[in-house]
Amino acid sequence: MIQLKNVSKIYPNGAKALIDVNLTIGKGDFVFLVGPSGAGKSTLIKLFYRDEIPTRGQVHINSKNLIRMKEREVPYLRRTIGVIFQDFKLLPNKTVLENVAFALEVIGVSRKEIQLRTRATLELVGLANKEKSYPHELSGGEQQRVCVARAIINNPALLVADEPTGNLDPETAWGIMDLLYNINKRGTTVVMATHARAIVNKMQKRVIAIENGRVARDEIKGGYGYDA
Amino acid sequence: MTLNSTRYILRETIHSMKRNPWLSIASVLTVMVSLVILGFSVFFLVNASNMAKSFEDQLEIAAFVEESTTKSELQALQTHIKGMPGVASVTIVTKEQVLTDFGKTMGGTENNILADLGGKNPFSDELTIKATDAQNVIALADAVDALPEVYKVRYGQGFVDKLLVFTQWLRWIGLGVVAAFAIAAVVLISINVKMNVFSRRREIQIMKLVGASNSFVRWPFLIEGLALGFVGGALAAVIVGMGYNWIAMNVQSTLTFLPIVQNVTLFQQVLVGLLLTGMGMGALGSGISLQKFLKT
Repeated sequence: MIQLKNVSKIYPNGAKALIDVNLTIGKGDFVFLVGPSGAGKSTLIKLFYRDEIPTRGQVHINSKNLIRMKEREVPYLRRTIGVIFQDFKLLPNKTVLENVAFALEVIGVSRKEIQLRTRATLELVGLANKEKSYPHELSGGEQQRVCVARAIINNPALLVADEPTGNLDPETAWGIMDLLYNINKRGTTVVMATHARAIVNKMQKRVIAIENGRVARDEIKGGYGYDA
Repeated sequence: MTLNSTRYILRETIHSMKRNPWLSIASVLTVMVSLVILGFSVFFLVNASNMAKSFEDQLEIAAFVEESTTKSELQALQTHIKGMPGVASVTIVTKEQVLTDFGKTMGGTENNILADLGGKNPFSDELTIKATDAQNVIALADAVDALPEVYKVRYGQGFVDKLLVFTQWLRWIGLGVVAAFAIAAVVLISINVKMNVFSRRREIQIMKLVGASNSFVRWPFLIEGLALGFVGGALAAVIVGMGYNWIAMNVQSTLTFLPIVQNVTLFQQVLVGLLLTGMGMGALGSGISLQKFLKT
């Protein structure tokens, strides 16, 4: 699913975000990325959906070579990847329904199909009764559910999440984790960068720790491993 | 482009204009004001150039022919000068004609004028020469002066060179004014589109993230730019059209000596040009401003 070979990323200002990272994540895996702030987790995630291109090394997603990929092929890659953010990135002047439908509209899906799939996805994330609400009328957890709905409506093979629970209280965070767990159960690969120690320790999934731009630890059923 | 996409793009364009009505109005006004100024500068240029031309058209060379020249030699000379490069026309003015004209200005008849002058016509035959290009008048006059049959030329020496410098300047200034306002208009519009794109950068970011193609992101902005440019251009065409007619009417009734251009074809061309320029600037401004945001 994801394969990184000797990947280094040095930003134009000279900051070394990633140094010689080798990584393989299989189809259907659930992976936590942990590590201190600024260790390179976000950069690593951005490589997956080609928001960043590494300075050196190879990145393969779904056996597609992201380094050799042409600019006009990038949209098609992204249609197979769902992305979730800490700050949700919802459009404030669109309703919940419109925000989720947006992901289908911009890739030219028919209106009828948009209606069907949007309703079904909102049902899945438990927001069927909020479809006419605007983001500012929702709680943080509900907003994150909208973001998740938008990320999975295209049935992506890969779901990446950058601290999806970072802005949520523990109880709400668990609701989101349930959602991600179920999505993973349906066969979607999930990679999640997080600082939520309790969640990582409880879920007993593969844990990859990034420190100073390098893979410091990679355990099949790992714990968070850092003191709070 | 599928039907679904087209429908979405059109809906999104209208949506965006409704959502940012003030930005849309500002863009339209910018296009309008720039194009109104541009339109008037074009007409200024046309008139300045026309005025310069009409001054220049009045320039002619008078060549005075040696007294010994016979009528047939005079005609041969006319043919010869006609064949010289840069000559538009050559007319013969015989000394009898000159005398008649002179008599008329003095208020007498040809005969008593001749008598007053001692029975001898003091004038010589003349050739009136027009140059194809006013800039050549001086060189042409020198060439004609060099002919053996011609003993003197007159073309308003000392005045012509000043006039030519003046008309040349008139053209340059007109051109400069047009260029300056064209640049100002493009800059203003691209600032407006940039603001528009900036106010929607979040939307663009998400569109890119969920896999919208670049052309898909670009279309609504391009159409919006075209539409706003069209409205601005149309308003400008109306204002310039009515304004120019009004000015032309007033100038002609008060400053009758000023040659005002009133060419219907040219008039239509300029107005259609304003409309197209508005649309072009709108679309171009959108495209340029978007380029930066579409880079992944």
